[in-house]
Amino acid sequence: MKWQTKNLALYFQSQEYVDTLCIPLIPIELKNELEAIKLADQQKSLQLISDELERNFTGRIFLSPSYTYIKESDFDAESKRLNQWTSSLSQNKFQHIFFLTYDVNWKKYENNLEGSLIWLTANSIDDYQSDQTKNWIKSQINQISELIRSYW
Amino acid sequence: MSEKKQQVSRRQFLNYTLTGVGGFMAAGMLAPMVRFAIDPVLQASSGGDMHAVVDVSEITTEPQRFDWTIEQVDAWYTSDVTHSAWVYKDDNDEIVALSPTCKHLGCAVNWAGDPDHPDQFFCPCHEGRYYKDGVNVPNTPPNAALDLFEFEVREGTLYLGNAIERGGDN
Repeated sequence: MKWQTKNLALYFQSQEYVDTLCIPLIPIELKNELEAIKLADQQKSLQLISDELERNFTGRIFLSPSYTYIKESDFDAESKRLNQWTSSLSQNKFQHIFFLTYDVNWKKYENNLEGSLIWLTANSIDDYQSDQTKNWIKSQINQISELIRSYW
Repeated sequence: MSEKKQQVSRRQFLNYTLTGVGGFMAAGMLAPMVRFAIDPVLQASSGGDMHAVVDVSEITTEPQRFDWTIEQVDAWYTSDVTHSAWVYKDDNDEIVALSPTCKHLGCAVNWAGDPDHPDQFFCPCHEGRYYKDGVNVPNTPPNAALDLFEFEVREGTLYLGNAIERGGDN
């Protein structure tokens, strides 16, 4: 389910079935043009993957709006804030919490996070309609699905 | 006598002219009204948008998942939405196109996703199961059969339309 009016009504009706929270972590910055373009591209591709994942597991995964942060922030402080943010959002209703990200910086702070970090290697996508992209996304989804299902 | 030579009298000529002009005016007014009146009929006959999904030759008796993307416009926001279908040929060689959306809470079901039931559709979220024809297995979470897609075959390509709901079976 998503953060959308229709989905939320269904979520409150069937909370007991939705036990998994997915939060995409999106870094942003505007200092450097090339870096900004890269991050925007990654955001789009991560959004595609999270949406597709949500489509496959609508009845069990709640896809939260992305957690957005400044790329060069202090990850110690950022991970504390993220934990706080996550626990207020989940209110202990979710048994499984997954963070989806392309940002390798989180990897070092993985143990501080109250949830499982799924770090994906980024792949710059030029043509979102090409078969190659679709297959790449499909294989990513299959691998992430397998990981998430191993937690269930 | 000049009057006898006249084939069309002045009165007749005016009559014809007025009838003709009047007829055109009436037709001009009625034609759009008739079109408005039968518009719903014409709309229905087009039967929603059909999308080319796959070459018929690729369809086997084993259900396969096919995806297609359509452009959806919500107010001023246009987005690409992906749809999927499980397609196979049944024992009578008829094409069956099932919606993968689980009738429980809307997850995507998989063919043979559960090793214990290799001839059923399986929903990984809450272990809902469906027989090959899409009917839900009793005593699993879903309480209705999978939706069937409207389909047609044109020049060897399968086109899918809207998913049509079937009634509950238990």
